Amino acid sequence: MSVDVTGEQLVALRGLTVEHRGRRLLDGVDLDVHAGRVTALMGPSGSGKSLTARVVLGCVDTNPGVTGGSLKYPALSGRDWLDGRAGARGARRLLKETRALRGDFMTYAPQSASSALNPGRTLGRQLELAMVRGGVPQEERDVALRTLLDEVGLPARALGALPGELSGGMCQRAALAIAVAPRPRLVIADEPETGLDPVLTRVVTELLLELCLHRGCGLLLISHRDETVDRIADNVVRLTGGH
Amino acid sequence: MGGPLVTVRGVEKTFQLPGAWPWSPSRAVPAVLGVNLEVAPGEIVALVGQSGSGKTTLARMVLGLEEPTAGSIALEGQAWSGVPEKDRQARRVKYQYVPQDPMSALNPQQTPLEAVSETLRALGGLPAAEARAGAREVLVKLGLEARLNALPRDLSGGEQRRVTLARVLALEPRLIVADEPTSGLEPDRRQAVLRDLFGNLPEASGCILVTHDMSAARAWAHRALVMLAGRVIEEIDLRAYEPVHPYARLLFDPWSRPAPGGELAETGCPFLPDCPLADGPLAERCAAAVPPLSRLNDRHAVACYGAEAPTVRDA
Repeated sequence: MSVDVTGEQLVALRGLTVEHRGRRLLDGVDLDVHAGRVTALMGPSGSGKSLTARVVLGCVDTNPGVTGGSLKYPALSGRDWLDGRAGARGARRLLKETRALRGDFMTYAPQSASSALNPGRTLGRQLELAMVRGGVPQEERDVALRTLLDEVGLPARALGALPGELSGGMCQRAALAIAVAPRPRLVIADEPETGLDPVLTRVVTELLLELCLHRGCGLLLISHRDETVDRIADNVVRLTGGH
Repeated sequence: MGGPLVTVRGVEKTFQLPGAWPWSPSRAVPAVLGVNLEVAPGEIVALVGQSGSGKTTLARMVLGLEEPTAGSIALEGQAWSGVPEKDRQARRVKYQYVPQDPMSALNPQQTPLEAVSETLRALGGLPAAEARAGAREVLVKLGLEARLNALPRDLSGGEQRRVTLARVLALEPRLIVADEPTSGLEPDRRQAVLRDLFGNLPEASGCILVTHDMSAARAWAHRALVMLAGRVIEEIDLRAYEPVHPYARLLFDPWSRPAPGGELAETGCPFLPDCPLADGPLAERCAAAVPPLSRLNDRHAVACYGAEAPTVRDA
């Protein structure tokens, strides 16, 4: 369906160093994500996996925050987004400047879908808003919505349902649908299998992979499961934590 | 003494869910169908299966928190049926529950020391000073010495779990039912929490571990019961045997075969639509009736027409 952009570099993160209250949380992390490929981010708890992913999303909430490194989205421009973005003020500016990219160029699939979905809005509405955010033209939305629903294996009646009426597995499917609905170039998934049983874990992981690769999206996957990563990742970044 | 701690015989549970409108008829949802289970003193039994397979319902019935629709449940030879709720509470002091989500189980305004000593006072019947000393002792044993006076929100996920464990272990219960005590924790933290639970289990106490984590079941349980759609489809000592039911094999090694469609059959063996064994005449047999749990040996039983045949021949 989409043009073949496999291999185009989406993220180039170099030498990322993040500090918080005198502790060095990340020290020189390098990370690349390419279109149509999977980069896995692994490491023990507290090693800074989610932190790294948040920097890629342009959200830094530590103090003083980023103290070194560069972040480029080569597919967009040659700009270094971390240049001069140290400290709380720099982090606020980074957050503001990257706002237009989130939900459009890049999207985020959350860890615990049932608590990340808006409990007061129907799934159909949430999907539609995600499409609006990604600039999907109005006349295409209806068809895109149904195709997407079919792709993630949710019944059409799920469109009118509130997240509370869906099972955990269905919520996770819905969250993945919302992540790819805006037609992003890059999807960042933070342990999408958390809390799911082993069989569902596999089903959801495969679904995520299929959704991204089918669209030529790059996928940055945070995971702690070797058996998942060994199977699907094109390259693996291992964080050792606190070094 | 000597008898089993838990005796579950032919237990069934059907929930009546209300229909879409107040005047619509209620729907019957079967959660547990004809389960037998025994737990001996000192034994750790794992209940494994996918979400919605009836593990939690069964675990709650064992503790008398849920009334079975049919069958009987007895703890240390005493049945739950006919016992009014206020008498159940007193009995439950010896039979404790470790919840899944510590943040919703702990009082957000209570420090670990307060939480555990309150438990010892209210359920253990100890005077305040002794309860406090006892609470401190258990918390220190679980490595929470530095966190005695922290609030739950300041504790890490693993520490919160340890507080819920401390609360249960302080009472020295005869039976602990742990409902996914490690869900949401990363693998390296899970090990530590389970070590704390099983390492401090009073001798001759039993434990039922409800879990999604197959490596935990392998590492700790003396016996595992694999549940599918409310039934036990395999009962196995994982230290000696490998699962043979195709569904159990999928659960223990989810990447080993093509992904299942996840559809369950209404009649016959529920796993039939995804079963790689069911073929030809066997498939007809599986569609006609639910395979009963049949014993392969004293530590292994399976409910599968396809899986039992070769092993029976061997024997």
